[in-house]
Amino acid sequence: MKLQTLSRVAERIYWMGRYIERAESTARLIAVHADLLMDLPVRRALDWRVLMDITGSSALFATLHDDTTERNVVRYLASDARNPASILSSIANAMENMRTVRDTMPRVTFEYVNDLHLFARSGLQGPLSRSRRVEVLEGIARRVQQLEGFLSSNMTHDHKWQFLRLGNHIERADMTTRIIDVRSGAGSADEPFEPIQWRGVLRSLYALQSYQAIMQAPVEGPAVLEFLFQYEDQPRSYASCLNSLMFGLRRLPRSGPPLGVCNAMIRHVQEADVRDLEGAGLHEFVDGCQVQLGDLHDAIASTYFHYVPRVPARARRKEAKGQ
Amino acid sequence: MPIDRKAYNAEGIWDELVAPNGRARAGAGGLFRVLGRLSGERLAARQAAADLAIRTMGITFSVYHDQTKGAIDREWPFDIVPRLIRKREWDEVSRGLAQRVRALNLFIDDVYHRQRALDDGVVPRDYILQSREFRPECVGVDIPHGVWSHVCGSDLVRDERGVLYVLEDNLRVPSGVSYMLENRAVMKRVFPELFRHYAIHPVDDYPRELRNCLASLSPRDTERPKIVVLTPGIYNSAYFEHSYLAQLMGAELVEGSDLVVDRDDYVYMRTIEGLVRVDVIYRRIDDLFLDPDTFQPESLLGAPGLMRAWRSGKVALANAPGCGVADDKVIYSYVPDLIRYYLAEEPVLPNVPTYRCVEKASRDYVLDHLEQLVVKPANESGGYGMLIGPHSTRRERETFRRRIRANPRNYIGQPFLTLSSAPTFVKGRLEPRHLDLRPFILSGERTYITMGGLTRVALRKGSMVVNSSQGGGSKDTWVVDN
Repeated sequence: MKLQTLSRVAERIYWMGRYIERAESTARLIAVHADLLMDLPVRRALDWRVLMDITGSSALFATLHDDTTERNVVRYLASDARNPASILSSIANAMENMRTVRDTMPRVTFEYVNDLHLFARSGLQGPLSRSRRVEVLEGIARRVQQLEGFLSSNMTHDHKWQFLRLGNHIERADMTTRIIDVRSGAGSADEPFEPIQWRGVLRSLYALQSYQAIMQAPVEGPAVLEFLFQYEDQPRSYASCLNSLMFGLRRLPRSGPPLGVCNAMIRHVQEADVRDLEGAGLHEFVDGCQVQLGDLHDAIASTYFHYVPRVPARARRKEAKGQ
Repeated sequence: MPIDRKAYNAEGIWDELVAPNGRARAGAGGLFRVLGRLSGERLAARQAAADLAIRTMGITFSVYHDQTKGAIDREWPFDIVPRLIRKREWDEVSRGLAQRVRALNLFIDDVYHRQRALDDGVVPRDYILQSREFRPECVGVDIPHGVWSHVCGSDLVRDERGVLYVLEDNLRVPSGVSYMLENRAVMKRVFPELFRHYAIHPVDDYPRELRNCLASLSPRDTERPKIVVLTPGIYNSAYFEHSYLAQLMGAELVEGSDLVVDRDDYVYMRTIEGLVRVDVIYRRIDDLFLDPDTFQPESLLGAPGLMRAWRSGKVALANAPGCGVADDKVIYSYVPDLIRYYLAEEPVLPNVPTYRCVEKASRDYVLDHLEQLVVKPANESGGYGMLIGPHSTRRERETFRRRIRANPRNYIGQPFLTLSSAPTFVKGRLEPRHLDLRPFILSGERTYITMGGLTRVALRKGSMVVNSSQGGGSKDTWVVDN
């Protein structure tokens, strides 16, 4: 009889997967955004506030800072312990989850996570010049990739592995839709700079080069939307994330309910006319995707993490009566 | 670095490796030759390599930290000079340990059943019934092989004359065995050449033996019973060990919340595949936290109903609840009598002479000689709550005088033993440091005793306190062929 995966362990590994992914995508997001701003005229409407919208943290940010200055925003997203989704908070949370399941993963994993944590902590503390910032953020992203690469080639691809990947992919899908969503807020004044901004979107997702190779089209809204929503072979596309989630779920026992949710999501995105989406319509579509991601998380959690083991006899009788 | 005979001062101490004339004791010659060929710097480099190995292997123990109100992980302090025991001596010690643990298990089973030894006056009935570790809930429970303490860690010390004594038997949840295993792994990494000079008996069969021992307790007759290790969680000082043993045994490491006792009285664990039945629980939490339905209702560490499941024989708990009744320093003083009573044999290993404060004559002696004795509470572990007479202040002695008078049943006195020493690498030199030895005894269907055990060493000069929480370190322990 092989070792069984405890619900508690599965849950912590899943969250570890989410936090690691979140740390990387946030690092990447800041770096690409800073780069993009350099291509735009000074004092454009598209400023640092956008990042608050993407990460869904405008409300909390407002309680901590008056201005969305570059300094405030970067600090908030990168190292602020009061922001539970900051890079440093995410890595610390990944560490904490890792600590409690350390014995269930390859021994060296802890060293990778520990190294990532130490690097981020020392790199993000104190004043962060623009040039150093690029270096630190890239260092974080690279270390996360190293960790994922190590796990991918050394961790047994068992149930625990699937939970790690579910965490990665659900977080990745979430970030992809958030990044796309920013474009839905752009007004007509942005038009001359549209291509630059779409390029920024693609680069945040490591997708600019492959977009050009695959779509063989100029960088324009409709084609980018199709690429990022529906193109299955592009690792950070929404469709690819959903496929990975589906394949992962298929490898797990009792996966009926979450698999049902996931399959409906795949149909939903593949049947949508994403090329035509813009403005409020785009925002609404993204919103729908995020609600579905929430449903998928809930289905995973209630199937594997918090399911009620057995229905007590009394409750069963009540149910029967009600019907 | 050769041991400097003039500077190596173990006067009045029995040294494990150095004879009084400054030469190597029998068997230690090979070790001395290798050490002698290395300069102080190269020895320091080996020590640094060992420390690094311990860091990267993540061998830690947690200490509760007052300032931060949380646990901090500390690396396990390790000394690179091994401690040697000759196989011939070890065989004799093993025989003595097996004998002790057999008698102790017979005694615990007796206490919870017919109480023959109490009827026959071997141990006064009151001492048992007043013991904090006596559990009425265990009375009448029949358990596999009649064994209650499946994993026992006995502490051995040697006095200045070289006599080896049993200082105490940890029958409840002894820890330290993972460090015994890791010390050997570290030693192989940093001192491979030493292994060519000796036929050293391996220690790494322990996890397999532990698994076999636990499996022999399974209530279900199946090829591969489901065994789990129950830990209080990552903030426990021995969490590293819990996780380490679970991994090496191929057992699930569970917390109380992972377990459910269903209405059928079976124990299940919550897994992603649903509920899975558990046969044997190697629990690393104290009795009183096991089951909030039976013991402390506010405890979240155990699982409600666990005692019910255990009493009905549907799950095995190792060690069994209530086994601590024999892990009491007053009861300890009766072990030689128990060996004679149950086994009709003479004890192989002597006890340290012990004065029971509950008896008037002994109490008077202890109160009159506080300055020379060690006074211990009957039920503490980890070296806490002790009075070390020769190192105590008048104030401390007065405190203990009051405590003993107020609760004589809870105290014993023992002569202050000068523990034996062994060369230890401290600040670039080899100096004598005091040490003890904790072997582990497994009892199930059969008995297994570790080859050697965990040697703990007091790293502070002159100190006899070897506990890791109080500045102790450890050494690899070699049982070598003669």
